[in-house]
Amino acid sequence: MAEHPGGIANREGETAYDVTWPWTTGRLEPGLTCVFRVKNEARNLPWVLPPMLEAVQHVVLVDNGSDDGTPEIAQRVAEECGAAERFTLTSYPFRVSRAGPEHLATPPDSVHSLTHFYNWSFSQVRTSYSMKWDGDMVLTREGVAALADLSWQLEGSGAVVLVPRHPVSIESESVAWIDLGFRFLEPWIYPMGPEYTFVKAFEWEVREFPSTAERLILPEGLCVELKWLDADEFAHWSHTSFEDSTRAPRKRREWEVYSALTAGRGEEVEGLQRIEAPPGVHVVDHITRTWLPHAERPLVRRLGRLEV
Amino acid sequence: MPTPEAQPTPLSEAIPVERRVVFVVGSGRSGTSTMAGALRTLGMHVPQPEVAADETNPKGFGEPQWVVDFHDELLRRCNVQVSDARPSAWFESGKLAAFEPLRERLHDWLEQQFVEGGPELVVKDPRLAWFLGLWRAAALRCDATPAYVTMLRPVTEVVGSKQRYYAAQRSAGEVQRTAAWVNMMLHTERSTRGSARRFVRYADMLKDWTVPVFAIGQAFDLDAVKSATANDVRRVHQFIDPTLRRVQLTWDDVEVPDRLREIAEESWQHLDRLADEGGDVPAVHEVLDQLRAAYSELYGEAEAMAHSTALAARREGLAQQPEPAVRHGVDRVPHGVRKLVPGSVRRGLRKALGRER
Repeated sequence: MAEHPGGIANREGETAYDVTWPWTTGRLEPGLTCVFRVKNEARNLPWVLPPMLEAVQHVVLVDNGSDDGTPEIAQRVAEECGAAERFTLTSYPFRVSRAGPEHLATPPDSVHSLTHFYNWSFSQVRTSYSMKWDGDMVLTREGVAALADLSWQLEGSGAVVLVPRHPVSIESESVAWIDLGFRFLEPWIYPMGPEYTFVKAFEWEVREFPSTAERLILPEGLCVELKWLDADEFAHWSHTSFEDSTRAPRKRREWEVYSALTAGRGEEVEGLQRIEAPPGVHVVDHITRTWLPHAERPLVRRLGRLEV
Repeated sequence: MPTPEAQPTPLSEAIPVERRVVFVVGSGRSGTSTMAGALRTLGMHVPQPEVAADETNPKGFGEPQWVVDFHDELLRRCNVQVSDARPSAWFESGKLAAFEPLRERLHDWLEQQFVEGGPELVVKDPRLAWFLGLWRAAALRCDATPAYVTMLRPVTEVVGSKQRYYAAQRSAGEVQRTAAWVNMMLHTERSTRGSARRFVRYADMLKDWTVPVFAIGQAFDLDAVKSATANDVRRVHQFIDPTLRRVQLTWDDVEVPDRLREIAEESWQHLDRLADEGGDVPAVHEVLDQLRAAYSELYGEAEAMAHSTALAARREGLAQQPEPAVRHGVDRVPHGVRKLVPGSVRRGLRKALGRER
């Protein structure tokens, strides 16, 4: 890997996109920054950004070649939330390898690598804690409250936080399917520092953390992941055969649910529940504001969980 | 199929709610009982039964016994004390909010209070601030709007007041109590920021309670306050005793290290501004954030300096623990003999005995 004082140089010599870690240039402010790396999420951001802007001190959104107006929508939503000064919009102009074999073949210090993309994105953070978040993940009201508390409670703890999420496949404005058949659990929130950077794994990147770090698992019902059935959810994968990877059980499950729903067989999938919103309420709002807060716990009744 | 133009309902237009729960927070002896009692007298429901009045609080505490017991249990679980000066204690107590069975337990209890006591509740307990995350989640699941009243009283009076009324616990000393006040007040402010809240000076409450209580009723849209009858108001006058503020002390009466005193005094000055009409603004929050950081740094230094004392206390605590009553058979075998058994055999034996490491 090429030398770069205080960070990581990229092999293509694109110096503007070398990684310079913020802790090498000054003291980090207390607080939590949410980092979105997005491509064509214009449809989801009006649901995703407002609760996140309510929960954390700062949001960084890195656009990666969207052609659906994602940056403009994001800026507009941040301004409408009165949070423009807590919102950083930036772009990463390189084509990034797709998760899977294409990623495997890409060196980690290439601007085309997911690893470098993540490291560069997180180097934009100026607070002592950071979290990655996807452009299709919507916090519930309980989720906002939980993250708002953690945004100051985590300070100095060194803990990493895992947030369960529930995939929601949207059939229409009033009907969606929530997947409560598996527990999708992933660490999302980490301190900033040299022990918490991204490294290359086989299919994608992983974020490192010390084995001694405390792991805090948040309760269910804080977050849903939107999947529109009229869009190709698997476009960012370089192949859709997940059977050969034991590290991609989440993708296998998502593929199982997606295939069943597009074939009209949703009722046959264990743990998949159909939800219909009352007239005049969008099903996403219904699920995050009414259905989930009142749903009986535990939401996911299967013993096993998917930690990905 | 959805259209790309489909938009979410703005958060500000969430489901209309009629249930309200007012949490009265702040350091003990700051008038929290007076505030909770006034709201109760005007018609808000304090979950029953309450902790009985005693000589330290002759007009009653306004604290539901269930809440006190629940909080005591939680404090034991997370190893935090009511007046805890450690900034890290907020993470320790906050972690309990991630435990779903506790969320459910509190939600079930709160739901029952709304059903039995009506749509406007007031909950007060000096331990409450440590667990606001759990309460917020419970309120949300009950479709209730949470609101917070923080009572303010000069730190010198709180420390003095506590020393007078809780004389048996004087060993903690003024330094620890002052530090705990700073920790409690600055983090309670941080925890309630962004929510519906009001700050009320204890002195203002005793001077003329109608002004702050009316403002709370308006700000939180409390029917009990807005529709209070003349008799309700008379009863509050009878309840509030202006001579309650019996301890009035200054820094001349409280001896603490200079840096702690500076942080505590600055904290008080800025928290006090939050009680002004229009005073709860970002510029004040920013200073309070800086004070929180300064306090955490000061505490970290003190903690590092006193590390030997902490280790000695730990050794002393361990030495006082009783020996295990029953020793496992294998523990009776001398270590030297156990070492002669090959590792693989030891592991096999442990597995067979169900004592795998």
